[in-house]
Amino acid sequence: MEPLAWYIAGPLIGLTVPLLLLIREKQLGVSSSFRVAGSFLLPKVDYFKYNREKDYWQVFFVMGILIASVAIFNTTDFGIPPSTNVEGEAYFQAYDNAFLPIFFVGSIFIGFGARYANGCTAGHCIMGNSQFALSSLITTVFFFVGGLIATHFIVPLIFTT
Amino acid sequence: MKAAIYLLLGIGFGTVLIASQAFHWNRINEMFHFESFHMYGLLGSAIATGALGVWVIKKFQLKSIRGNDAAPIKKPVQPTGNVVGGLFFGLGWGVTGACTAPLFIVAGLHWQIGLVSIAGALIGTLIFGVIKNKLPK
Repeated sequence: MEPLAWYIAGPLIGLTVPLLLLIREKQLGVSSSFRVAGSFLLPKVDYFKYNREKDYWQVFFVMGILIASVAIFNTTDFGIPPSTNVEGEAYFQAYDNAFLPIFFVGSIFIGFGARYANGCTAGHCIMGNSQFALSSLITTVFFFVGGLIATHFIVPLIFTT
Repeated sequence: MKAAIYLLLGIGFGTVLIASQAFHWNRINEMFHFESFHMYGLLGSAIATGALGVWVIKKFQLKSIRGNDAAPIKKPVQPTGNVVGGLFFGLGWGVTGACTAPLFIVAGLHWQIGLVSIAGALIGTLIFGVIKNKLPK
């Protein structure tokens, strides 16, 4: 089906920025939930010895995301793109068990990169750019550089059936 | 109580990412091929809305519900981290068609892919934690 229009979805997503600040001065972010997990799994590593309580909220936040996903996909057709793109070509079906290793390795890059860059799309691209933070502008540019390289040069090589 | 608020916000955030299909591999792939304005409009309007919210909070020096200054703090510039970490993250984003929040959405759509992806992101986080002291900032 067709997606919810960007001019409705975008502002709704952006609204989480002031909401989180006004509730308990939290800055939108998602990937620190993995740092919380790390602090339980590798408690002796310096990086994971930190005031993890401040990031607990992200664990509940991602649990909410997961709940929404399980509830919606089990009851509706929401969220699934139409079978063809604007040019009438069939969309590639990437969600296939044959590609599990690709998703695994790709996600290691996501986890590693998010921590090294000190934030992900939520924390840098949305939250950080909403503050016009230089660190977030730099990071967002390189998110896109990495994404362009992957999409144009790596995806065609590895997603083969 | 606090947990319930964040759980609800997560449900709302997730629902919008699903309804807009922003979590989906095909939408991200399309974005990096410049074939659709959808993701650019979505991210742009999300940033604009967030920026307006931050501006209002700063302008009127708003307090959070518990009475502290609500204004956010900028993340510090970490030249190598922002560049190299950004590149690594971007490579993962382009390949998996997902950033961090969407991993938890894919898990509800296709549990095997969701599970290995969340495990992968966790392992990536652990690797960073272990070698952090050897990496330039």
